[in-house]
Amino acid sequence: MERRSNLIRLFFFSIVFLVIVFPFLPLLLSSVSFGWQWPNVLPESYSFRAWEYVLAGSSGTWPAVGASLLIAGIVTAVNILLAVPAANALSRNKFTGKWLAEAIIFAPIVIPPFVAVMGIHLTFLRLGLTETIFGVVLAHLSPTLPYMVRAVMISYNTLSVDWEDQARMLGAGPFSRFFHVVLPHLMPGIAAGASLSILISLSQYLITFLIGSGQVVTLPILLFPFISGGDPAIASAYSLLFAGMAILTLLVMDVSLKNYYKNKKASTVKGQQRGVEM
Amino acid sequence: MKKFTLLTSGILALGLAACSQNAEKGSQDNSGNLLASDWQEVSDAAAGQEVNMYMWGGNDNINRYLDEWVAPRMKEEHGIELTRVPMNDAQDIINQLLDEKSVGKTDGSMDIVWINGENFKAAKDNGLLWGDFSGQLPNFTDYIDADAPEIAEDFGEPVDGLEAPWGQAQFVLVHDENKSPNPPKSMEELASWVKENPGQFTYPAPPDFTGSAFIRHVLYETTGGHEQYQQPAAEINDLEARFEPMWQYLNEIEPFLWREGQTYPESLTKQDQLFASGEVGLTMSYDPALAASEVLKGRFPESTRTFLLDGGTLANTHFLSIPFNSSDKAGAMVTINELLSPAAQTAKLSPENWGDLSALDLEKLSPEQRQAMTDVDLGNATLPLEELEANRLPELSADYIEIIEKGWMEHVAKE
Repeated sequence: MERRSNLIRLFFFSIVFLVIVFPFLPLLLSSVSFGWQWPNVLPESYSFRAWEYVLAGSSGTWPAVGASLLIAGIVTAVNILLAVPAANALSRNKFTGKWLAEAIIFAPIVIPPFVAVMGIHLTFLRLGLTETIFGVVLAHLSPTLPYMVRAVMISYNTLSVDWEDQARMLGAGPFSRFFHVVLPHLMPGIAAGASLSILISLSQYLITFLIGSGQVVTLPILLFPFISGGDPAIASAYSLLFAGMAILTLLVMDVSLKNYYKNKKASTVKGQQRGVEM
Repeated sequence: MKKFTLLTSGILALGLAACSQNAEKGSQDNSGNLLASDWQEVSDAAAGQEVNMYMWGGNDNINRYLDEWVAPRMKEEHGIELTRVPMNDAQDIINQLLDEKSVGKTDGSMDIVWINGENFKAAKDNGLLWGDFSGQLPNFTDYIDADAPEIAEDFGEPVDGLEAPWGQAQFVLVHDENKSPNPPKSMEELASWVKENPGQFTYPAPPDFTGSAFIRHVLYETTGGHEQYQQPAAEINDLEARFEPMWQYLNEIEPFLWREGQTYPESLTKQDQLFASGEVGLTMSYDPALAASEVLKGRFPESTRTFLLDGGTLANTHFLSIPFNSSDKAGAMVTINELLSPAAQTAKLSPENWGDLSALDLEKLSPEQRQAMTDVDLGNATLPLEELEANRLPELSADYIEIIEKGWMEHVAKE
């Protein structure tokens, strides 16, 4: 029995390795290769030229990583503030024109962003919002918000109004009802939506490029010229850095979510104990 | 409520319009002065300005040259903060300027743009460039031959001082000395070389920039020289008939190309990969120093060399320009002037920095400056400057290029 589960685990890990880690190996090799001619499986010799360039101060990589994370963070925070009330209204209320509201919110998933962005660019230019982080954040909301609303709606669908009614009968006001009853239940949905929102915001090139007009430099802005017809070694190094940034961000989110639940559990247990003492 | 919204938005629109008008007036006054004032005044105005240079950002050598060689010097010597903004394509610069023009944005952030050819023509036709500034630059008047055809015209379009030359490119063919000691130096020799070495040659399919340039060489050599194509294409009645020998030539060599000419590499990058891995024996480049830098990067073998056709090869110039709505025009002028200085051009020529040919006229340099430039070690793969300079052919204008690229699809790719 023990043996079999070990075998299954081994099998599982090799699949994960093949699917997730393996595609990164050629990227890694290409980023450090110096002379890699066709029939050879491995490069003939190695050089850190590409990494030296990417990590050097003058290439502006670190400020770009900072800008990427800052924008993704603000976008996600705004998304949460917008999506929770929106999902509440959409999943719990029936009102006329609901289908229209849903269609508008989910439209960016279906309509190619390029179409909308050209129009947004002209409007933002008139309003003086181009070349600002604020403008880029606003523009990133349209492709990310639908995913956030969708994820939070699913959480709301499994939360019966009875829970809040019960809390109200026990004397909880609207704020404590939201923070102690609704929010803990929504947390997994918010976390899922936030992951998507962060990933989508981090990987935007066209929107950032047009609205930021070169004055808001995120990692994709640096990476794109190298990927399309530039130096393959540097493109590989940048791609790895990008993947690392995305994975690290998701990991941090995962850990903080786990911490949130741990604290929640601890405080509930404490609360119960206090109740017993009283 | 509705009335109120209408009213406020009306006021807002008026206010915005007023603002933009004021701004326009201000910048026009200012820029008019700059074009007429003497250089000292321009330098004084430039101190402390932040200059944004929008340019293609896909080459680490070029990026480093600007970030590590040029920018610190601008800061130290002129108090100018130079920021390089990476673009994926010069076309994007034009699109962005078009949008800014259509909404009347006057405080643009692009101060210097790196363009040439079609992009220059589009920018000029749409009035996206500031004005006749290049004659104001001391280094332009001192070191550049303004009347030379490759400086006065950009792919057949008169430059009119709207842009200043930054460097030059010239078409070269690339081979591996060890594998093919006697490379073909004319289209006739190439045809027999291809037949003797089947599968060893191909060219990138147009509209790839370099592949398209290769076809223009075929045009020049098979139809009797470039002089006849100096007028607009629309003015030549028998263009179809004149092009006929070119299509014949390309179809004649096709069966002996890589993969029997069934397919062509879609880009020069792909063809360079075929050359790097030894699948084909020749590749080409519109940058005469690119092969040397690929050798330095370990992609091409040490025995890589470049060569020219006996009849000469196409050359073009790339330029720096200032958009109509640049906010720091004085800073842009001083920066461009500095980029044209013999010191900056000599540093740019070195393959360690970039390997780009100088835009300066060697004759106009002092003996020491000329010595410094000819002393630059271009690497074994690059031809000497004099040899390149002596074998230059002028480019065709954009209307021909379009006709040739369409014709290739019809006459060569489909047959």
